[in-house]
Amino acid sequence: MIQLKHVNKYFFKGQSREVHALRDISLQIQQGEFVALSGSSGCGKTTLLNAMGVLDNIDSGEIYLNNKEISHLDAKEKTNIRLYEVGFVFQAYNLIPVLSVKENISFIMKMQNIDQQQIQNRVQELAKILQIEDKLELLPSRLSGGQQQRVAVARAVATKPKIILADEPTANLDSKNSKALMDMMRELNQKENITIVFASHDEMVVNAVDKVIRLDDGKLV
Amino acid sequence: MFELAIKNILFYKGRSITTFLLSYISATFFVIYVAFLDGSHISMLQNSLKVYTGSIQIYQKDYRDEGGYDYLIYNNQKIFNILDKTEGIEAYTSRVETFGIVSTQENSSAMMLSGVNFEKEANISELKNALIEGVYNSYDNCLYMGVDLAKKLDLSLNDEVSFVGSAIESSFVADIFKVCGIFRTGMYEFDANSAFLNRNYFDTLFYAQNTSSYIVVKAKDLNKNDALASNIRSHLSENEKLYTWQELMSAMVEAMKVDSIFGYISMALLFFVIFFVILIYGFINISARIKEFGTLKSIGISDRQIDTLLFLEIFIISIFALILAGLSGGYVAYYYELHPIVIEGMSEIYKDYGIISDEIPTSFNLYTIFCNVGLILFLNLLSIVYPIYYVRQYSPIEAMRHV
Amino acid sequence: MYKTIFSLALKNALLRKTRALLLIFMIASSMSFMLSLEGLYNGMTKNMIDMTLRSDTGEVSIYAKDYRLKQEIKYAIKEAQSIKDQLQHHPSITSVITRLKVSGLGASATKSYPVDLIGINLIEEESFGEFSAFVKEGNLDLGKNGCIVGKQLAKDLKLRLNAKLVFSTQDSSNTLQSKLLRVKAIVHTTNINIDNKAIFIPKKVLSEFIGVDPALATQIAIRTQDKDLQEELRLRYRKLEVLNLSEINPMLAQMKEMMVVFNAISFSIVMGVVFIGILGVMYVSILERIREFGIMLAVGYSYTNIQIQVIFEAVFLALLGFLLGSIFSLASLYYLSHYGLDLSEFSDGLQSFGMSSIIYGDIQPEYFLRTFYAIIFASVLSVFLPLRTIKKLNPVDVIKADS
Repeated sequence: MIQLKHVNKYFFKGQSREVHALRDISLQIQQGEFVALSGSSGCGKTTLLNAMGVLDNIDSGEIYLNNKEISHLDAKEKTNIRLYEVGFVFQAYNLIPVLSVKENISFIMKMQNIDQQQIQNRVQELAKILQIEDKLELLPSRLSGGQQQRVAVARAVATKPKIILADEPTANLDSKNSKALMDMMRELNQKENITIVFASHDEMVVNAVDKVIRLDDGKLV
Repeated sequence: MFELAIKNILFYKGRSITTFLLSYISATFFVIYVAFLDGSHISMLQNSLKVYTGSIQIYQKDYRDEGGYDYLIYNNQKIFNILDKTEGIEAYTSRVETFGIVSTQENSSAMMLSGVNFEKEANISELKNALIEGVYNSYDNCLYMGVDLAKKLDLSLNDEVSFVGSAIESSFVADIFKVCGIFRTGMYEFDANSAFLNRNYFDTLFYAQNTSSYIVVKAKDLNKNDALASNIRSHLSENEKLYTWQELMSAMVEAMKVDSIFGYISMALLFFVIFFVILIYGFINISARIKEFGTLKSIGISDRQIDTLLFLEIFIISIFALILAGLSGGYVAYYYELHPIVIEGMSEIYKDYGIISDEIPTSFNLYTIFCNVGLILFLNLLSIVYPIYYVRQYSPIEAMRHV
Repeated sequence: MYKTIFSLALKNALLRKTRALLLIFMIASSMSFMLSLEGLYNGMTKNMIDMTLRSDTGEVSIYAKDYRLKQEIKYAIKEAQSIKDQLQHHPSITSVITRLKVSGLGASATKSYPVDLIGINLIEEESFGEFSAFVKEGNLDLGKNGCIVGKQLAKDLKLRLNAKLVFSTQDSSNTLQSKLLRVKAIVHTTNINIDNKAIFIPKKVLSEFIGVDPALATQIAIRTQDKDLQEELRLRYRKLEVLNLSEINPMLAQMKEMMVVFNAISFSIVMGVVFIGILGVMYVSILERIREFGIMLAVGYSYTNIQIQVIFEAVFLALLGFLLGSIFSLASLYYLSHYGLDLSEFSDGLQSFGMSSIIYGDIQPEYFLRTFYAIIFASVLSVFLPLRTIKKLNPVDVIKADS
């Protein structure tokens, strides 16, 4: 469902400090796969993840999401892709600090003008899966790291996007919370057939996925 | 976005309270200040025009430029006929003015002697209400004299004075008048130089029958004065000229404009500084939330929606502050319009500048209040332009990495 | 060590360039706007006072008792010449002159008006108040029957240069007299008592015309820098009225006081708001770096050093704002003091209130000095509140604290 063809990305292109972050990357990830991009620090995992989610531009090549080329769309269309097709989970949770857990989860659904009753049902459903039912009215500042990350996951999957991109989701969690998070994401992957792609150097994550795509210095290994 | 804006306002209390207070204080101050400024100007102008000038004056062409008896209106009745047929006129009367020397045994002074119809004048000017001693409605050679002129000549009621001047057909006029009434309008120059004589007696003395220096008209509604003036003008011949009070008191009107300009410039200084502080507080708040905006952009919120969010935040704070300011400022303006501030002795000090009352009223005008408050709202909204531009400069990735 | 502290302070002050620039620009533009306005208002008042001192009262004026109330020649100072001769040798008096004034009727070919005829000595007036600088048209070579007329009066009487003018009044024997004069010069002093009413002729001519002793005068005007002179003269000339400018012209004195109050209020408000601006920026700047300060404390950097650093940051930004503001202010004040603010469009209105149509600003070093102290004070004061936040915590808590 997501396909990259000869993707190249440079940082500081044309300058003396130019970095060739992605080198001729071509890969394919099927619907429902549970995949990890792994490699050492600075190998290009996050860059590749950001490119897949059209958060960042590429310098050459093509990216297809469900057979539609998305890397050359304009800013508005890319925003719509991120709103409707792609969900993000960040290393630093990045919850909206003024909204409660319930409001954070339902935020994107409201942006998509989904019916209020449907929103409520979906929030309850996800809160049950992610074991945060008793935290729905709290602000993010009142939650632990693990709990915040679960809220971030709930937000990302709330609208049932085609693909979830998770950048180092366990980096700020202890091992117990990391395992719990991975288990929950596996459950979501199986239950809702959502493709999940992790960028991580955490061995625990790498071992938990179905497929590992290794990167080294911007190239596929 | 509206809900999120409300939550942000309540969450970032420091910025919200500062913006609210600055907007409220500056807007309230502005409303009250302009109310006092306009009120004092209107009061000055209306007092002056009410006292004697009237809302419209009709002259023979060139009288105001050249003066002299050559340019008098020599056929009052023709103009009276036009005025009788015109709607919107409360009253009108003819005046003849001349200058001469008035003398007692000890003293003399220049004097403006006017022949007026006292009954009609009572409906047009404040001369009757200005009476402080004696009688208003004088006959024969009875003078109705300004208090400061009487003081200058050391005159009391029933004292006699001699007058020397010239008649309409340029012969000498000399007569003895009796002081039968004394008035005080508060306009120093007027009270120190003017005296009035019954029109019939004046006409006989000065050969001024059916003649006017000008005809003064009082409009029923001062707000419709310009329309009335146009109407009358359309019926006058080329040899007659009509002036409204704005033209008659153009110097004062201009001076009021200058005063207003300086007033607004002074206020502009305050707004200038407040604008910057609101801008800085807004900018600091927003730049501290760049990561948050990056998150929003990355989960599918467009730049335009973020603009809307920022706009709503400042708009909501401002609207609350400004509604409150409009109400409190408006209340103060309304109160002091009905109960003007009185500064004892002010008219005495500023008499040379035409100030005749010790009262400083405000002018309560909803439209003006609305405009004033609107200006502050505009400035507040302007303060968000740069922060919006600043946030737009960041791509989602850059914003999320912002330190 | 202080070098390190100051170097850290400089780097941190300019770390957030946009924020720093906004603050600097806010201080600079507020300061220059405020000082320009203050300079303009002070210049306007100073000019009006200066013109009145030069054209009329001097710092001290002597009148006979009752003269100012009655304005009659019988209340003139009989021994004016001898008083003047005495005062001319007084060490604190730079100039002393006598004037003789009578009121009467001024008549041109077409108009008449109450006027004051003032007898002066042109040579003495020149050293007293640079009389020639008031001349707008014509010259001071009066010849036979020449006179000098105030600008507004010339306009009211429709007088041009070389026009004839007849002045009529009662002389010392109460006989009505008239004098034919020819306009040789028109003056503009911004003193409405002169511009609107005065005609000047040589004092000797006026004395002869009204039949009084040439030694007689209605006013003795004195220029001096000695503030105690008035009291001294009051004691010396107990039978006469010795008055200063505020007593003769309370409106001008009040205007000057009002300007001082107005400028003080504007200054306080502007500096208050600038303080809020600096406070906001410094507060956020310190809170953002609270972890950094915690680490510094942990590695041995004392709290006092943090205080010095932070104070220096605030002062540095404020000083930059002050420097930039001084450049803007100097430029603007220089322009205003040399070229003035041209309000010719409103010249009629301004003239009627005795003001010049070009308003010149005034530059004083104290504007900058006062602003400098206020800005430094505001910037130092603004950091104490945020510094208290750090002072209350221990290093471990500071390291853990979220911004």
